[in-house]
Amino acid sequence: MSRTSFIALLIFGAILGYFLSFGTETTRKFQAGVYQWLAPFFTTGSGLQKQITSVRTGLKSLEDLERENASLRVDNRQLRATNEALRDVEREVNRLRHALNYRARSAFKLVPAEIVTRDSSTWWHTVTINRGKEDHIESDMPVVTDEGLVGKTTTVSKTISVVLLVTDENCKVAASVEGTREQGIVSGERIAGGLAPMLDLNFLSKQANLQPGQKAYTSGVGGVFPSGLLIGAVKTFRLRELDGQAKLAPAVDLSKLEDVFIVTGRK
Amino acid sequence: MILFFILLGLVLLTQIAEFYIPPIDWMYNAHVYIVPVIVFYGAVALPFPLMLALALFAGILLDALTVQVIGAKVEISLGSSMLLYAVLAGIMHGLRPLFIRGRWEAHCILSGICTSAIILAQYLMITFRRGSPFFSREVWWQIGGPGLIAMLIAPLVFWILNWLARLTGYPYLPERSRFG
Repeated sequence: MSRTSFIALLIFGAILGYFLSFGTETTRKFQAGVYQWLAPFFTTGSGLQKQITSVRTGLKSLEDLERENASLRVDNRQLRATNEALRDVEREVNRLRHALNYRARSAFKLVPAEIVTRDSSTWWHTVTINRGKEDHIESDMPVVTDEGLVGKTTTVSKTISVVLLVTDENCKVAASVEGTREQGIVSGERIAGGLAPMLDLNFLSKQANLQPGQKAYTSGVGGVFPSGLLIGAVKTFRLRELDGQAKLAPAVDLSKLEDVFIVTGRK
Repeated sequence: MILFFILLGLVLLTQIAEFYIPPIDWMYNAHVYIVPVIVFYGAVALPFPLMLALALFAGILLDALTVQVIGAKVEISLGSSMLLYAVLAGIMHGLRPLFIRGRWEAHCILSGICTSAIILAQYLMITFRRGSPFFSREVWWQIGGPGLIAMLIAPLVFWILNWLARLTGYPYLPERSRFG
């Protein structure tokens, strides 16, 4: 090994040792700094992606259009059948939709945010949003949509923040199930092989016997997530050796997420 | 030296671009990783000190943008990807003479294997922290899928980077006569 290579190796070792010695807070600060440095790239990239997506969705093949047409015909028939029964409800929903938006009717103080990037890593489920310390966002703040819980903030820089999605194994949420006294901990799966990732509701009692469709809400235990946020609906329930476990379908379709709200407190 | 800075710039841009490349659903949501291929090209094209510098930059960028700090714990220490990149790039660097002779096949295959090795190492580290290790078909696809993709795109990436190297008059070409 040449002298230059040896010196390079020593310098590399020193820098490596320096980074490996970082504690939690220093790591968080360093990450926030890198995100802040790259924020203009992410914002530009997000805009470009939207433009490309809008062009791509406009260019549908004939086969896609035929399939879509057939699907729309079926939808149309179904909608005609249900239209009569839903007329009154529709009027009320429309009135409410125009009168209120989610932010106004929510019991929480919400900061709206836009998704800038989606997760690029294999083992963590995250998104990046265009809000940061400038908007009074801090770590461990719940992130929601009008449909339910999305996750919580982790690394927060000046104008950009990372949101750990509820489908990540590390995002643990205390939950209760509607219509029962059952409480448990919701966490994501380590591997989301399918198109729609599922959530695990663990530590239920063996007598829980949850039924598909029952909804799970945040219970407020733990301090990060306020109570009453919809997490998902029970898909299956099974007994394990020591407890019961339910699989939940997340309330929010995280793959199509575009806008979210950060809960900064109660009103 | 110009090539080194080009590779640094490409690593940065590609790392950002990877955020906008959706995972491949028919490969169990395997992600597309292009940065490792660029780093491994650098490993065979650059001299040892610059190879280490490239591995350092790519590793720190990967850790800063992907590793999560949750509560009071960091699952993968900042710097671990630097070490992974450096070790794997070092292996690739050992095959540099073959590359200079114009034999790229081994490096393209190795790029795929090394990409999977990085993801496997990350999985082993987080599994060690989280406990309950398991290796299902999905896990193997998430590890092997990106490697396969890297292997497939490596010839194109290597060709483009080699073209850039020639364009910048990168002086590794004279070595060819020494080996060839």
